Amino acid sequence: MPLIKQHISKSIEQDQRKRERDCTSLELQLSDPSSAARRWAARDLISCPEATGALVLQLQQEDDSSVREIILTTLTQLGDELAVASLVGYLRSEDVALRNEAIEAMKLLPDEVAPIMGKLLIDPDPDVRISAVNILESLRHRQVEEWLTKVIEEDPHVNVCATAVDLLGEVGTTSAQEALEKLKTRFPDEPYISFAADLALKRIRST
Amino acid sequence: MADTTISQEDFLKFREFFYRKTGIHFDDSKRYFVDKRLIERIVATESVTFRSYFVMLRFETSGEELQALTNLMTVNETYFFREEYQFKCLVNTLLPEIITSKKEGQLLRIWSVPSSSGEEAYSIAIYLLEYWPGINHWDVEIISSDIDTKILAQARNGDYSARSVEKLPAYFLEKYFRRKGDAYQISDDLKQAVEFTKVNLMKPEDVRPYRGFDIIFCRNLLIYFDDLSRRTAADTFFDALNPGGFLCLGHSESMSRISSLYQTRKFADSVVYQKSKEAQ
Amino acid sequence: MKRILIVDDAATVRMYHRIILEGAGYQVLEAINGIEAMEKALQEPFDLYVVDINMPKQDGYGFLSDLRSRDLPQTPALMISTEAAAADRTRAYAAGANLYLVKPVKPDELLVHCRLLLGEVHP
Ligand SMILES: C[S@@+](CC[C@H](N)C(=O)[O-])C[C@H]1O[C@@H](n2cnc3c(N)ncnc32)[C@H](O)[C@@H]1O
Repeated sequence: MPLIKQHISKSIEQDQRKRERDCTSLELQLSDPSSAARRWAARDLISCPEATGALVLQLQQEDDSSVREIILTTLTQLGDELAVASLVGYLRSEDVALRNEAIEAMKLLPDEVAPIMGKLLIDPDPDVRISAVNILESLRHRQVEEWLTKVIEEDPHVNVCATAVDLLGEVGTTSAQEALEKLKTRFPDEPYISFAADLALKRIRST
Repeated sequence: MADTTISQEDFLKFREFFYRKTGIHFDDSKRYFVDKRLIERIVATESVTFRSYFVMLRFETSGEELQALTNLMTVNETYFFREEYQFKCLVNTLLPEIITSKKEGQLLRIWSVPSSSGEEAYSIAIYLLEYWPGINHWDVEIISSDIDTKILAQARNGDYSARSVEKLPAYFLEKYFRRKGDAYQISDDLKQAVEFTKVNLMKPEDVRPYRGFDIIFCRNLLIYFDDLSRRTAADTFFDALNPGGFLCLGHSESMSRISSLYQTRKFADSVVYQKSKEAQ
Repeated sequence: MKRILIVDDAATVRMYHRIILEGAGYQVLEAINGIEAMEKALQEPFDLYVVDINMPKQDGYGFLSDLRSRDLPQTPALMISTEAAAADRTRAYAAGANLYLVKPVKPDELLVHCRLLLGEVHP
């Protein structure tokens, strides 16, 4: 029968010998010409808590998206301050894909991201504020509703408010009602805002 | 007698620990399921309290107790010819496409993970023998892995209940199994054809040697994982696959909320995910 | 009945667009990002895609480039985004969009542009 059993146990052994790899050489391999080698290094660096700096550096110049995804997964798992700071930096990137990847990574780090949320929500760049609201979606922090309410009361940009209303419909309670009513008068010519605010109000009242 | 109450705080602590070890996430609705199994192990190990059990679990060097507990916590439900449309896709489309970029005499490699008690891997073997003419020209290696050592022993043993073989056509049952009381024992030939190994998909050391696969089946596992573990699993499979290799997920699982590494391919029988041929 | 696929990660936006388009007699399906949209596009034909840009996993540009590079019917696509900058428009057209609107859109605006792309009215 041509279904055959190889000796995987043998190949495992060989691999383990090859793999006596220390953190320094793994960091070096992050710039290997082969993207497979870079991915493996990025993955193995999970056991090197000091590696954040090297990963962040490589991410800045990495143009293979498969390597980027793995660097971001490892950064998320390491989840230290430097990792979070670099993710915040990517929220300003012109590269939509990288920006969205950073948002996703930050969504997975609620405890680390919560302390800087207040600042992100008043960033001068409306795109950063939209991203910040998107991150709130998964934050499960007791302040989320308060933050969102403040956004729809004060943010001058219609799309920042639009993003916040979408979320308020899910997490809002009766304390957001007044702000939602007021929002409709802040943007009287935007049917979308009325629609979204009414939908959120309906959901809040029915729970 | 052991004091076997488990507080909410204990539950949360344990949940976090178990998640980091296995990627398996229990939400609050699983509280009863988890408590029951924890208590079973607390009693079995003669630990006095949850606390002393948990200390032992975290600091034991052998990993034996973690394994015993993991074996209890996993959901092993599976059966022969489950989601059969995907096996059709395998023989009708995936294998024919894979061999176009292989040289004569090269080995085809398939990884079925998680194996649970082995039905999936054996179903693949049966499908290849029955429905893929290429089997006469190509050597195929099937490896199947799971985190649960008890279920792996069962897979290697190859004894199945009537329920597990229910979907198999009677003709295959006769051809590949031997009746043993209430059970059906799979033929030695098939047992010889599949290698079962222990792998914790969340453990980099465990998965590192698994490379060079043409096709990976990962069905009905990701549903037990949270977002980050799913993503880690998707990354792992990407490196385990050859360029142009395929990843098949369960019918309720989709890559669209997990990773952007793969290209979505739609065939007559199934949606599958492909590692680009240009990828290294 | 003509079929439209709405691709947007925000549930409220999908619902808003859906109500407008269903009200005009179209059949509407939804996807939450580019990858899910591709899964749907591969399984059934559509007459029009209405696509957001910023979405997790695969953004609107990625979806359209992928769509345009495949051997699939070249269905028209309306891109709708929060980005008003010229560079974003240029990039959307380069990725394969047929028209570009800036959010939030008014119901009439959405309908007129959809009809235009569906060939039901002429500019
Ligand atoms: C429901 S079974 C799926 C079996 C088969 N693939 C099918 O679709 O019928 C799920 C299996 O996943 C295994 N599992 C859970 N966590 C795992 C992990 N981290 N690594 C490997 N296997 C895991 C469990 O032991 C269980 O046997």
